Amino acid sequence: MELHSLSKVFVRSVSDNVARRRVSVIGSGPSGFYTAYHLLSKSTVPLHVTIWEKLLVPFGLSRYGVAPDHPEVKNCEDTFSKCANTFSGSDHKHKFEFVGGVEIGKQIKLSELLAQEDAVILSYGCSGDRKLGIDGESTAKGVFSSRTFVNWYNGHPYFAHDPYLTEFDWTKVRNVGIIGNGNVALDLTRLLVSNKIGSIWNPTDISLIALNCLRSAPIKNVKIIARRDFVHSKFTNKELRELWELERYGIRGKIDPEFFNETMCDTSKINDRVFKRRVEMCAEYLKPFDKRTKKNYKKYVPPAIDESEVITWELDYLKSPLKVNVDEHGKIESLNLCKNKTTKDSKLVKTQDEVTYEMDLLITSLGYEGKPLEEFKDLGIKFDGDHMANINGRVQDIHGVIFPKLYASGWIRRGSQGVIASTMQGAFDVADIVMQDISHETKTTETTREIDLSGIKHTTWSDWQKINKSELEAGVRQSKTRVKYLDDAEILQFLASNKS
Amino acid sequence: MIRTSSIFCFRNALRLCKPNNMVTGVRAMPRSTLLTNFTGRASFSSSRISYHGDLHRPRPGEELHVTFILKDGTQKKYEVCEGDTLLDIAQGHNLDMEGACGGSCACSTCHVIVDPEYYDALPEPDDDENDMLDLAYGLTETSRLGCQIKMTKDIDGIRVALPAMTRNVKSNDFN
Repeated sequence: MELHSLSKVFVRSVSDNVARRRVSVIGSGPSGFYTAYHLLSKSTVPLHVTIWEKLLVPFGLSRYGVAPDHPEVKNCEDTFSKCANTFSGSDHKHKFEFVGGVEIGKQIKLSELLAQEDAVILSYGCSGDRKLGIDGESTAKGVFSSRTFVNWYNGHPYFAHDPYLTEFDWTKVRNVGIIGNGNVALDLTRLLVSNKIGSIWNPTDISLIALNCLRSAPIKNVKIIARRDFVHSKFTNKELRELWELERYGIRGKIDPEFFNETMCDTSKINDRVFKRRVEMCAEYLKPFDKRTKKNYKKYVPPAIDESEVITWELDYLKSPLKVNVDEHGKIESLNLCKNKTTKDSKLVKTQDEVTYEMDLLITSLGYEGKPLEEFKDLGIKFDGDHMANINGRVQDIHGVIFPKLYASGWIRRGSQGVIASTMQGAFDVADIVMQDISHETKTTETTREIDLSGIKHTTWSDWQKINKSELEAGVRQSKTRVKYLDDAEILQFLASNKS
Repeated sequence: MIRTSSIFCFRNALRLCKPNNMVTGVRAMPRSTLLTNFTGRASFSSSRISYHGDLHRPRPGEELHVTFILKDGTQKKYEVCEGDTLLDIAQGHNLDMEGACGGSCACSTCHVIVDPEYYDALPEPDDDENDMLDLAYGLTETSRLGCQIKMTKDIDGIRVALPAMTRNVKSNDFN
C-alpha cells in the first residue's frame, strides 16, 4: 500500500516538472486541431501544444464552413473537445492550451514563435477568394463570393451583419446563378431552394438574420454553371443525391439533354465507380417517378403541385461568365456568358456563341484562396501562389531549402480542396513528420520559455466551454442545435459577466 | 481511381501477420476515464478496454468474435457483443480507427476491408454508405464502413483489415 501511494506521488511530480517540447499550431479548424490531436495522442516526447486562433472561438470551417443542415459533419468537434479537455488539466505528461482572439502576425509575431517554440505549424486555412476577373464582379450589388455568403449564413462575426447582404433587396430575387461545381456550390443551392422548409432549417444553427433574408426571396430557379462538362463535375455523389431527393418537396432538378442523356453514358462502359453511380443516379431521377427502374430512387413520391409552385435547380455546363450587367442602381440584372467546347484533342476552348441569363443574384463558388502572412517576405518563407511551398508538410524558403521548425497542414498547405476526412489524414501525416523531427533534435531552442500573454487580451479553452454551454442552452430554448453569438462584443460581454 | 482488388489487399495484410495474437480482454477492468484514447499505447497493455460509451460487454456464452488486422499486419481478435458496431469495438479496444463524424455515416475515416469470405454475409450497403465509400482511400471490392457493420451471429468470426494505404493510392505504391 505504501509503495503504491509513493509511486503515485512520484508520477505526479514528474508530470509537473517534465520538460515539454513546445509546439504552436496556428489555426483551430479541423487541420489545426487534428494535427494537435495526433501529436497529443501519439507523441512519446512530452509536449506543450498551443493552438492560436484569430477569432474568439475555435473550430474554423467546421463552425463557419460546413452547411448547417449537415450537423453530423461537425461531430469532429467532439474529438477536438475531448482532446482539449483531457490535456488542459495538469495531470498529464502533455499540455494543451487554446489562445483565441490572437492573430499571429499582429499581437504576436511569427518570428517570436519561431524563436520560442520547437515547432510551428501553419494551419490557418484560406481566407481569400478566387476571382473570375470579369466586369462587375467586385462592383455590382447582388454578386457575392461563396466564402462571404457561407460566412454570412454561418454567423461568422465579421460577416453576420454585413450590410451588403443584410440590406440587399431579397424580395426581388427569383433567378440565381452559381459559378462553380464543387460541394460548396451544391450546399448553396440546397439552401437557396429549400430554406422555406421549416423541418430542414428550423432546428439548425443557421444565422437567423440570413435565414429570414433568404425566406423573403421568391427564388424560382438556381443555375449551377460549370466551365467544363458533366464528366468533370467536382461535387460528390452524396450532395448531388441530397438535391435530387428534394423532389419530395416539389423542388426539381434539371440537366439539359445536351449535357446529359442516358445514351451518352452507357454505364456498362464506365469503369470509374464514382462516375458510374452518378450517371445511374441522374438517369433515374430525370425519369418521371413511375418510370424509374430502381427502388432506391422511388423513396418518396413527389407532390402533385402547380407548375407555378415548382422551384428548379439546374446543372448547366460548358459556359464561362463574361460580364455582369447592372440596372440603374448598380444591381445585377443579367449575366453574359460564352459557350465552351472540347476540341478533338480534348482541349477546352471558348467559342463565339454567347448567351445571357436573367439574374438577380450571382455567387462565385470557385474555391477559397490562401494568403501569405506579412512576415513571410522578410523571413524568406516561400509562398506558392495560393499555398505554402512545402515538402511533406515541411515549409520551404525562397531557395527551396527546408525552413527549420516550420510546417503546414490543411488548406494552407495544399490549397482549398478535400473534405474533413482528407484534411484529417493530411494533418496526421504532418504531425508524424513533426514528431520525427522533434525526436531527432537533441537540444531544444536556447530560449524555450512561455510566450508572455499577460498584456494581450485573449480567450482560453475554459472561456470557450462557457460560450459553448451558453450557445447550446440558447439552442434548447429555441428548439435548435445551437444559437451562435453573431458578434464579438456580445461574446466579450457574456464572458465579462460570467467570470467565475 | 486506382482500385485494388480486395483479395490482394487482404492476402497482403495476412502475409505481414505475426502469429495470431489472441486477446480476449473480457476480464479487463472497465475504464471510466476518457484518457484511454490518448495515452501512448506503449504505456498500456492491450487488454485494457473502455466499456464506456457504445461498447458492450458480451454475456457469457453469447460472445461473438471479430478479428482486426492492423496496418502492420498484427491480428487482434476480440470477443464482442451482438449489436456493437466495428467502429465502437475498434475504438473501445484502442485501435487506430478514427470516426470523425462520430459513426453517423458522414465520412469515410472508419473504412475497413472485409475478408471476402464474410463480405456476402453482410447486408448490402445502402446509398448513403456507398456515397461515403466513394471517398475512401484505397477502396476495394469488399470495402465497408466500420460504423455501419453491426455484429450479428451471421458474421460471427468476421475478419477485417484496417487499410494499409492511408492516402490516395498511386501507381508507384505497387512497385
